[in-house]
Amino acid sequence: MKLFKVASAVALACSSSVLMAQTIDITITNLTHAQNFTPRLVIAHDSSVDAFEPGVEATSALAWLAEAGVIDDAQNAASSGQNFEALLGPTDTDNTSNTWHRFGGLVAPSTTSASYSFDTLDKPYLSILTMLIPTNDAFAGLDSIEIPTTPGTYTYMLNAYDAGTELNDELNSTRTDIVEQDTGNALGGYGVPGVAGVGASPVALGVGGTGVAVKVGFAVDGSAIGANEVVDGTDGPVHIHRNILGDTSLTDGASDLQSTEHRWLNPVARVTITIPAP
Amino acid sequence: MNMNKINLALLPLIAVLVTGCGDDGKDGAPGPAGVAGVDGTDGVDGIDGANGNLAVFTVQLTNLTYSQPFSPAAIVLHEPGYNIFIDGEKASTALEVLAESGNPSDIITEAIATTEYLDAIASDGATAPRSIGNVSTLLVPLLDVDDLKISLTTMLVDTNDAFTGLNAADISNMAVGQSVSFMVPSWDAGTEANTETASTIPGPAAAAAGGGGASAGFDAARDDLFDRVHFHPGAVTNANADDASKEGLSTSILTEADRWDNPTSKIVITRTR
Repeated sequence: MKLFKVASAVALACSSSVLMAQTIDITITNLTHAQNFTPRLVIAHDSSVDAFEPGVEATSALAWLAEAGVIDDAQNAASSGQNFEALLGPTDTDNTSNTWHRFGGLVAPSTTSASYSFDTLDKPYLSILTMLIPTNDAFAGLDSIEIPTTPGTYTYMLNAYDAGTELNDELNSTRTDIVEQDTGNALGGYGVPGVAGVGASPVALGVGGTGVAVKVGFAVDGSAIGANEVVDGTDGPVHIHRNILGDTSLTDGASDLQSTEHRWLNPVARVTITIPAP
Repeated sequence: MNMNKINLALLPLIAVLVTGCGDDGKDGAPGPAGVAGVDGTDGVDGIDGANGNLAVFTVQLTNLTYSQPFSPAAIVLHEPGYNIFIDGEKASTALEVLAESGNPSDIITEAIATTEYLDAIASDGATAPRSIGNVSTLLVPLLDVDDLKISLTTMLVDTNDAFTGLNAADISNMAVGQSVSFMVPSWDAGTEANTETASTIPGPAAAAAGGGGASAGFDAARDDLFDRVHFHPGAVTNANADDASKEGLSTSILTEADRWDNPTSKIVITRTR
């Protein structure tokens, strides 16, 4: 307890002398060929918050972000209690361990976002997450960087991770000829197979793909299931995404994504942070 | 009061233990005994322990790939001037052994023989895909902390000769308790053609196809396009080999799951003393 007080006193001293400016400016550039970025989750936090960690299983909050691009209740009421809002607390509030904001809209391929003004409330670390669509559960992540305190412009390159919460079947979720096994649910976002964000893709997706990491009509172990059914297996923990496979056919092949358009290589995003002069 | 009594009672015991340690010097342990001739080198080790003038580093590897197991890693702490490999130059035979078979011992033997060597160790076992590996501990004299490099290599075992790691990365002047982390790509040793066949890949993917193991590992013949270390172009795999696109390699025993993108590994180095 005593130690804790001393630590707070030191932090307070630092904040008054060094961290005059709490508001930083952030831009994010989408470096991919044909993947859109979903709304960006920006978190300033202490060392007790870890939005994602390679080698560690994803939380349900990360699954919602990586499978459906959903961060909070306002985006999708069904995510309530499971999303980052539930994990972190209310937005734009000092939640002690963190403060966060969702910057809405899509960032199109090969474009730079508007400049976001974000009050870090003197939290020491910054994480940024955004889903790549159309994919099953790929996201770009800035992993707990230390927020610079010296005024200036800082650049970070982001890799694409696989949340590991959904098998990369690469199946077009607008298809009605296939459904999730057992539930009969249509393909799409959180908790069901199929790539999300089909409508946003700058090029048309195929139909008739037989599935990449898992085949239509077969369970993960290869045993036969209903001919129009797809399973929703997992492939975690979090790891670097092995990239879209795709194919060049719009009517058959394994994938409904286009190998010539939807692939990427890391890094997939550039984040620029400007610490203003006090 | 009780605590004090116990402490006092222990003191003579501790003294005895300390004296006992000194006596072991006949095998060359600390101080004065070390002077006596042949076993002098052992004596130096003893002094290091007593004075605590060693810096201790831990190294932990995270496998960032979806399905490529990492072989045991060769980890070397050294002074500037040593390189496990240099891009655009021929791989050493020791690196060829690691990159084709996953055996790190030749690299460690080779490193120990160099004048820049400070400490080296093979990591405890393989590191599974999508997992955080075991911690390895290395020790270097305090005097060397101000100009310290780390090199590390580990094979992606479901490949012909891919490896990931660090080449003489600078970790000078780390404070006790400080950590640095590296996200690093993969290289191709350039010593074996990337045929992706069961008879040339040592790992489990090849084993599942009826090959793999030691006989599919190291082969002294160098049959890659150019016998030079370079960035790995990635696995082609048999995905899309039979559909209209024909992008895949039909003779490959690898599947789309065996692909990866960089970075392939995260390496965290912490100075603990």
